[in-house]
Amino acid sequence: MIIFLTASGLTLIFGLIGLINFTHGALFTMSGYVTMTTIQFTGNFWVGLLAGVIVVSLFGLLLERSLIQWLYNEEPLLGFLATFGIGPLILREVMRAYFGGQTYSVPNPIPGSLVVGPVSYPTYRTLVIVIGFAVALGIGLLLSRTRFGLEIYATTADTDTAEILGTDTTRVYTATFVLGIALAALAGGLVSPITAVYPDLGLGFMLIAFLVIIVGGMGSFKGSFVASILAGQIISFGSTVVSPTYATMGVFFIAMIVILFRPTGFYGKTEVLE
Amino acid sequence: MNLGALSERLSASPRVQAIVALVVVIALVLPIVTSGFVTGLLIEAILLGLFAVAVNIALGYSGLITLAPAFFFGLGAYGLAISTVDYGVSFWVGFVVAVLLSLVFAIIVGFAPIRRGIGPAYFAMFTLAIGVIGYDFTYVTTSVTGGSNGKGYVVPPEILGLDFGEPVVYYYFVLLITIVVMAGIYRLLSSDYGMVLHAIRQSEHRMRYLGYGTRREKFNAWLISCVLSSFAGALYVGQLGLAAPSLMSFDLTGEVLIWVVIGGVGTIAGPFIAGFGLTLIEHYLGSIWTEGYLILIGILFVSFVFLLPEGIIGFLKERRE
Repeated sequence: MIIFLTASGLTLIFGLIGLINFTHGALFTMSGYVTMTTIQFTGNFWVGLLAGVIVVSLFGLLLERSLIQWLYNEEPLLGFLATFGIGPLILREVMRAYFGGQTYSVPNPIPGSLVVGPVSYPTYRTLVIVIGFAVALGIGLLLSRTRFGLEIYATTADTDTAEILGTDTTRVYTATFVLGIALAALAGGLVSPITAVYPDLGLGFMLIAFLVIIVGGMGSFKGSFVASILAGQIISFGSTVVSPTYATMGVFFIAMIVILFRPTGFYGKTEVLE
Repeated sequence: MNLGALSERLSASPRVQAIVALVVVIALVLPIVTSGFVTGLLIEAILLGLFAVAVNIALGYSGLITLAPAFFFGLGAYGLAISTVDYGVSFWVGFVVAVLLSLVFAIIVGFAPIRRGIGPAYFAMFTLAIGVIGYDFTYVTTSVTGGSNGKGYVVPPEILGLDFGEPVVYYYFVLLITIVVMAGIYRLLSSDYGMVLHAIRQSEHRMRYLGYGTRREKFNAWLISCVLSSFAGALYVGQLGLAAPSLMSFDLTGEVLIWVVIGGVGTIAGPFIAGFGLTLIEHYLGSIWTEGYLILIGILFVSFVFLLPEGIIGFLKERRE
C-alpha cells in the first residue's frame, strides 16, 4: 500500500507533466522526519502524520513555484537531472546532515493485532491498507468525477487548447504536483512506524514506485494501483520463500520485461511512448 | 578531424600548446614529488574522469539517459577481481575477461531497448532496474562476489622489472592508457561518426529519413560507452585492490552524472576535468566536512542544470564564439 501511495503521486506527476520526478523519494523521507519530530513534541502520531503531510506539501508548493515549474517544457533529460540534484543530492544530504545517519524508530500508534479466525494481522498495517484503499477511491473519484479532474485530463491532452478554453493550466500543473507530493508525504508518514526513519528511506520506495508506474502504465492511476498491489504481494510472498533481496530483484526483473515488451503497461496510453 | 588535424590545431595556437605541455609536465612530475598515497588518489581521480568521459558517450552524444553507468563500472571491477582471485588467471587476462563480460551485458541490456526505440523515460527506468539488480546481486551472492566485504585482493603483477603494484608505476601505466583512450575517443567523436551521433541527438526522425540507421549508431555508441566504463572499472580495481558493492551503487551513478553535467554534456574534455577535479576536491573537502561537501556539490549541480546546462566547457565554447 505504501508503494501504491508513492507510485500514485509519481504517476500523477509523470502522466500530466511528463516530469521524471526524482525529488519524490526525498520528500517522502522528509515527511517521515517531520512526523517523527512532531511526535517527539506532541506525543501524538496522528498530529505528526498531519504535520508531515502539511509541511511537506507546502514545501512541495514552494519547490514547484521556485524551481520545478521551469522544467516543464524542457527536454526530459534536464528535468530528470534537475530533480535528481534537488532530491537525492541536496535534500537527502541536508536531512542526513541535520538528523545524522542513524535510524529513528517511531512508536506504533496502534499496537496489537486483529485476529480473524486463524489469521492475525497487525492492526496498524490493516489501517494503512484501509487508508490506501480510501485514498485510491478518493483520487479516482477526484479524477473522474470533479471539474478539477476534468481540467487535469484536458491539460494533459492539449495544454494550449485547455488554456484557450479558460483553464488556468499553470494552476493545474501546480495543483497536480502538490497533490502528488502530498501523497508521497502521506506514504512517508504512514510508513514511519513500520520501517523507522533514515535518510535513504524514500529512495528505495521511489525506485520501486518508478517501475510500478511503468508496469501499470505511465500516467494511469488505475494501472499504478493494480501494479503496486502486485509488486507488494510478490515482495512479501517472495520474502517468505527466498530472501527479501531476491524478491525485490525479481520485481525489478519483471518490470524490465514489461518495459521491453509492453511499454504501455497494463492500462497505459500509447502516446506517451515517444 | 583526424590526428593530423588535431596536431595542426595544437600547433596553430601557442596558448593551447603551452597549456597542453604544462598539463603533461605536471602529470609526469606529480607522482615523483608527492607521496604514494597522493599518487593512489590521483590514479583514482584519473580513472573516474575516464569513466565520466565513457558515460558521456551514451548520455551526451547519443542522448541515452542511462541510469546504469555504475553497473558497467562495477562489472569491470568484479570481472577483473573475480577472474584473478577465484580463477587464478593473470591480471592482464582479467582485463580481457572484464571487457568481454561487460560487452556481453551491454548487448543483453542495450540491444532490445535501443533497437525497439523505447522512449527516454523508459530507457532511464530500464537501466535503473538493471542498476538496482546488479547492486543487490553483489550483496546476496556472497559466494561469487564476496558480499558486502567485496572481492579482493588484486595485486597487479611485475613485468620486466616493473612492479605494477607500485603506485608510481601503476600511475604512469594508467596515465598512458588514459591518454591513448582519450585520444581514441577524441578521434572517434570528431570523425563523421561523431557528427552522425550529434545529428541524431538533435533530430532522430530527420536522420532516419535521411537514411541513417539511427538505432544502430546509438547502439554502437552504447557498446563503446559500456565497455569503456568497465575498462575504467577494471583499472580502478588495480589501484583499490578489491571490488566492492559501492563500485556498482546508485550513489556512484549519481556522482558520474554530476561530473558529466558540470563538465559539459556532449564535450570530451569537460567530464574528464570535472570527474578528476571533483574527486580530488571531494577527498580533501570531504574529510573536513562531509555532509557540507555533498550539499555544496548538490547545489552546484542544480545551479549548473538550471543556469549552465551546457556545462563549463560548453559555456566557455559559447563565449568564445
